[in-house]
Amino acid sequence: MDSEPLLIVRGALRRFGDRTALAGADLAARKGEVLVLLGPNGAGKTTLLRALAGRVRLDAGQIRIGGGTPDDRAVRRRVGFVPQSIALWGRLPVRTNLEILGRLAGLPRQDVAAAVDEALAWSGLAERAADRVDDLSGGMQRRINIAAGTLHRPDLLLLDEPTVGLDPVARESVHRVLASLRDRGMGLILTTHDLPEAEALADRVAVLAGGVVRAADTIPILVGRLFGSDQEVLLMLASEPAPDLRDFLRTTLFSPTNEPRLWVGRLRGGLEQLPGLRSGLVAAGADIDELRVRQPGLHGVFVELTGTVPQQ
Amino acid sequence: MTLAIFRAALLLLLRDRGALLMTLVVPVVFFLIFAEIFATAAGDQLQLRVAIVDEVRSEDSTRLLKALTAVPAVRPVAGVADREAARDLVRRGTADVGLVIRADGEELATANGLAAPPLLLLVDPSRSVTATVLAGQLQRAYFTALPDLAVGRVAELVGTEFTEFTPAQQAEIDAGLAGLREAAGAAEGSRPAGWTFDELLERDDVAGQNAALNNVAYYAGAVAFMFLLFAAAQGALGLLDDQEAGILDRVAAGPGGIAVVTNGRFLFLTLQGLVQASLIFGCAWLVYGVDVPGNFGPWLMITVSSAVLAAGLGLLLVTGCRTRAQAQVLPTVVILIMSAIGGSMVPRFFMPHWLQQVGWVTPNTWALEAYSGVFWRSEPALQLVPICLALAGIGVAALGLSHWFGQRLVRD
Repeated sequence: MDSEPLLIVRGALRRFGDRTALAGADLAARKGEVLVLLGPNGAGKTTLLRALAGRVRLDAGQIRIGGGTPDDRAVRRRVGFVPQSIALWGRLPVRTNLEILGRLAGLPRQDVAAAVDEALAWSGLAERAADRVDDLSGGMQRRINIAAGTLHRPDLLLLDEPTVGLDPVARESVHRVLASLRDRGMGLILTTHDLPEAEALADRVAVLAGGVVRAADTIPILVGRLFGSDQEVLLMLASEPAPDLRDFLRTTLFSPTNEPRLWVGRLRGGLEQLPGLRSGLVAAGADIDELRVRQPGLHGVFVELTGTVPQQ
Repeated sequence: MTLAIFRAALLLLLRDRGALLMTLVVPVVFFLIFAEIFATAAGDQLQLRVAIVDEVRSEDSTRLLKALTAVPAVRPVAGVADREAARDLVRRGTADVGLVIRADGEELATANGLAAPPLLLLVDPSRSVTATVLAGQLQRAYFTALPDLAVGRVAELVGTEFTEFTPAQQAEIDAGLAGLREAAGAAEGSRPAGWTFDELLERDDVAGQNAALNNVAYYAGAVAFMFLLFAAAQGALGLLDDQEAGILDRVAAGPGGIAVVTNGRFLFLTLQGLVQASLIFGCAWLVYGVDVPGNFGPWLMITVSSAVLAAGLGLLLVTGCRTRAQAQVLPTVVILIMSAIGGSMVPRFFMPHWLQQVGWVTPNTWALEAYSGVFWRSEPALQLVPICLALAGIGVAALGLSHWFGQRLVRD
């Protein structure tokens, strides 16, 4: 993996009217790694991704990709962008779509056919090249959507929720495609709400909240940094806690989430501490629906950093 | 529940200024324009620009012209030196029709159809109806200003065909006619004629070759240009399809940016317009014999520049809209208004003078004038160059603006 960052974002700031979408985000990405942007709705993931693609202008801060800005023509040749929607002409055949989009991505005319053949081969759709895009399954359309962003062999591929709306099988096929692109040395930055997907794909994750990147690193490092040897505790109450109980929970290292009945906390000193924690909670008036301990993972990192429970 | 939906629909309308404009203001504007056009065309407000030449300058001709020009429907074009100048004015469209009281014809008082009629109408066949209107006004003026001549001709007819007047009767008639002549200055209305007024008129078409087919050529141009605009606006809507599919986003992130998309579509729409106009004029040639092959060069020049204009304008109208709903309605409304004012629906000479002047703001008028130059006036191609350059220039400028507006489609 190239150690020099391919992408550097410093202090990215962007407002839409009164709403601040990016509030000074910093980020770096390297060639040949998959960086997953995570965060709750409105955290700034898509705005940041679109800023990287040159589709959003920053009010302040800077973005450097391979030494240039996203507006530089030379930089655009090094970046591929895969929108969340199926950005293809549905009534045209797959091959025709790829040929046109290859030219629009800056491929010389004589190189288009080879690039299309290659993209069809690795996306596993060579046999459907003559079919109309509208006639393909959702998973196939997603794969072609991704393939269309890679025809010019970019160093950096930006993907906005590339598996949204897919069933597990189709999602798995897209994951394989993304992994193969990473193996070819391409840097991938993608947004997702799906934590298992992030765990499956990410070399590193960047967790955004409130328009800033709260943390960016590998999942084990983030877990270690946030939890150390502690375990993660999930407390589901039968009803919304009263103010007194709320105060008590905060003093016992629980944090609220966007689900009022769900609180997350950490358990120090091993599982033998759990009965004591339970009785303490009951004594404080908590009507416990579920109290669960688990090894901290990306879910815990997400909740710790954003204060929200990720969408399922 | 029904009221809840009603409320939602009302609020959505009130909060969409574009839709509000389309729903409440545009129809009124549309009505006013069409009312102005058709009230003139179908009513009594039609005003013709007439190039008048009096080669005779007799007492009778002066009286006739005085009565004719007093009619609101007739607006004389100033400074017409002679018959050729009048012919040229009609050919160029500066005058709707020409009238010559000719020196080489019979006299107004004694015309009997045995030689050239005293009145010569110079008519552009594409505006043939102007001759009919002017003939009617002439007839009215004739009976108003020259009743003595009219009755005299009746008396002459009776005297030659039915009975021979005695000298006393003839003297009495002459005295009566003299009285009529004196009273004619203030006379209004017409009296029935006992002969065909058309005997006094001769019609001369001032168009170039294939004059008989000029009306077809006019409508080929009018329809072609209007549908160039409609088809271009419809084609430009594809930009919004691409935007909704995310294709614009993808392409705009590439090295070419959004300009590639608008330029590509501009080329496509220009070619589409060229093919569309070719089909219409091809049909006019094959079915009606309009001489397109004989005027191919100038025709191509006008058609290409018109297609360029339509493509640019279509893109501008669509990219200038903020919502798809606006983009589906606004171009249609604008094109309909331009076509109505510009002469694509109703020939401009039917319109009041002020509206004819406004028509020059629309490209329809320019294009139709250019086609007129080719098919009616047989003008040399060089004379069409300024109009064609203007059409193409506006099209390219509109493309430039649509680049700017197009950025809005993809920038957050």
